[in-house]
Amino acid sequence: MIAALVFFLAMQTPDFDSVARQAAEVRDASRTDEAIELYRRALELRPGWKEGLWFLGSLEYDRERFPEARDVMRRFVASEPDAGPGFVLLGMSEFQTREYARALTHLQRGLAQGLGGREEMTRSAWYLTAVLLTRFERFDESMEVLLSPRFRERRDARVMEALGAAALRMPLLPAEIPAARREMFSIAGEAASAFAARDDVKAATLLRQLVEQYPDEPGIHLLYGDLLMKSRPEEGIEQMRRELEVAPDNIHARIQIASEYVREDKSENALPFARQAVALAPGASDAHLVLGQALVGSGDLAAGIRELEAARDAAPKDSRVRWALARAYFAAGRKADGDREAAEMERLKSAERKSEGSR
Amino acid sequence: MHGAAVVFAALSVLLGAKEPSQTRQSAGSFLQIAKQAAQAREAGRLADAIRLYSDGVRLRPAWDEGWWSLGTLYYDEDRFEEARRALARFVQLAENPAPALGLLALCEYETREYDLAVGHFTEWAAKKPPASNELLTVAYFHWALLLIRKGEFERATVLLNARARLGNSGPELEEAMGLAALRMARLPEEYPPEEREPVWLAGRAAMQTALQRPERADQEARMLLRHYDAHPNVHYFLGTVLLDSHQSDAAAKQFERERQISPRHAAAMVQLAMFHLGNGEAAQALELARKAADIEPGNFPAHKTMGDALLQLERYADGTRELEIARNLAPESAAVHFSLARAYQQMGRDADAARERALFTKLKERERERTSK
Repeated sequence: MIAALVFFLAMQTPDFDSVARQAAEVRDASRTDEAIELYRRALELRPGWKEGLWFLGSLEYDRERFPEARDVMRRFVASEPDAGPGFVLLGMSEFQTREYARALTHLQRGLAQGLGGREEMTRSAWYLTAVLLTRFERFDESMEVLLSPRFRERRDARVMEALGAAALRMPLLPAEIPAARREMFSIAGEAASAFAARDDVKAATLLRQLVEQYPDEPGIHLLYGDLLMKSRPEEGIEQMRRELEVAPDNIHARIQIASEYVREDKSENALPFARQAVALAPGASDAHLVLGQALVGSGDLAAGIRELEAARDAAPKDSRVRWALARAYFAAGRKADGDREAAEMERLKSAERKSEGSR
Repeated sequence: MHGAAVVFAALSVLLGAKEPSQTRQSAGSFLQIAKQAAQAREAGRLADAIRLYSDGVRLRPAWDEGWWSLGTLYYDEDRFEEARRALARFVQLAENPAPALGLLALCEYETREYDLAVGHFTEWAAKKPPASNELLTVAYFHWALLLIRKGEFERATVLLNARARLGNSGPELEEAMGLAALRMARLPEEYPPEEREPVWLAGRAAMQTALQRPERADQEARMLLRHYDAHPNVHYFLGTVLLDSHQSDAAAKQFERERQISPRHAAAMVQLAMFHLGNGEAAQALELARKAADIEPGNFPAHKTMGDALLQLERYADGTRELEIARNLAPESAAVHFSLARAYQQMGRDADAARERALFTKLKERERERTSK
């Protein structure tokens, strides 16, 4: 009787291996819908089958069924937490379902783990990471990605718009850029790209064009000011002041003006802008950094150190802050503290160099 | 080998069921699994922990602690459907399920069971179970998003502002504030991409309002006018920002402008009605508030303003009727009870007036307590 029951069940129950084999065959034959069905059946029989989860997630993504792809990839990464491509595919799915915070986290994790030579996937993942960094107002990090060698060869229209949004410090995805001002973003991207390539002539031409075409748009004078600050700081400061007329609460413009005054050893001039920047953005490490530098420069060492410490607490991995703090500690005769910060700066610098190498 | 075990082993091979758990049926094995599950969890072996807790609840379906652990483990892996099922089981089984309600509601948000989520958030908040700051932040934020989706913008704003004043900030909070400010009954993952810029700008201004920086809020809100002067709700929002800085004449102009853009904007009508009432123009106030109540019969400020206007016009019986409607719509509004007390007083209904005054005092005290917390 038992033998009969076993035989009956064998007839009724699909065999995992054969379903998995069929799934692979129809997948190879590009019969995607059938493959999806078969992978689902195989995964019902063996829920933890990693290869099946990976292929099912990929196929669902290819079919643009992003919520399904996301759910499958969540199961995949739970069972395979070291799989970079899994996290990237999950992040790409979450990007499509507009779960942007999770998408960014997972893309970054996947990229950090490595994608094993998948060039196209790597490029897509970095692009999505960059646009999401912009969406989360992490403009400088976004620009760093988009200006990296990875995008140097193929900085197409899509990349230029993304770069433009980051350069104009507007937290918009390319799809969210208003149609009437799309050109403005492209030109800003071109200018930022030329600027980064040290083609100052081209950058200045493009930025002048932007200033003429869009004099009242936030971000334009800021970008132009950034360029001018290098070679003609007085004009750079003037552009930053114009930015403040267009966008009175702009923090970055204040920080740039204050930083320039600090560079020129005009701490008294820097102080009001730096103080305003801190008041506007009490959590911004750059604001505390420049205020700290201005205070140290104006002779108020104790207050300066307090601000630099605040900058360090806000951005413990910023080597510039560590260096400024080390110098302030040395000036105050606090050698041990200065040595510690200088060592930390060296460590961070070395990590930055490694990270740049891997990007 | 025991006969039954042989059959089971054979069936397991055929069914592809290779999990050892299916053979563990005794109480002894349950305790062992429970112990191993806890150890796996503590050691950060989450996949093992999930498998073991799943085995545990399969062996002992009434094991509430197991369901709780399973739910939280799935939640941590963003596997919300599985987490929802486990937490719902826990809520059914546990003597005190209140702490799980917030987490269950968060799962239901992710699985798009929005009505259930709102219900569980409401129940969770009413029971005030102990919760980590992280859970409070995430739960109140998502609850606010669901209120926005339901069009309850003012209630959502109260929750979001409270988060902002507790020091939470960031683009996601501002985005939610922007949706509420522009009265867009959508979730952040749902609204059209072309609305992103106005939502972002409105959110920045709303954040400044929440932080009680009216000047900065005004500046930020005016940035919206550059490209979105004719966008619905922009002038209404600017009007509310101006009201916050006590510029009622300028605010009234913005509400008027909003009415030109959105002729059936009930909230703008109510604001204008209140403005007229403040200027002693009760007839104009009444007309506007009545229009608003016709458009949105469930709009309690419209009924309240109508009631107040009628009292000012010495039409006490009509005013009382409107205020009673307002009270039924919003029994927690202290201001409604205050107005109603005045109305009853005028009608010579002293006992009713005393009752409303007492309710007013009680609600005000509760508001003060909340504010001080």
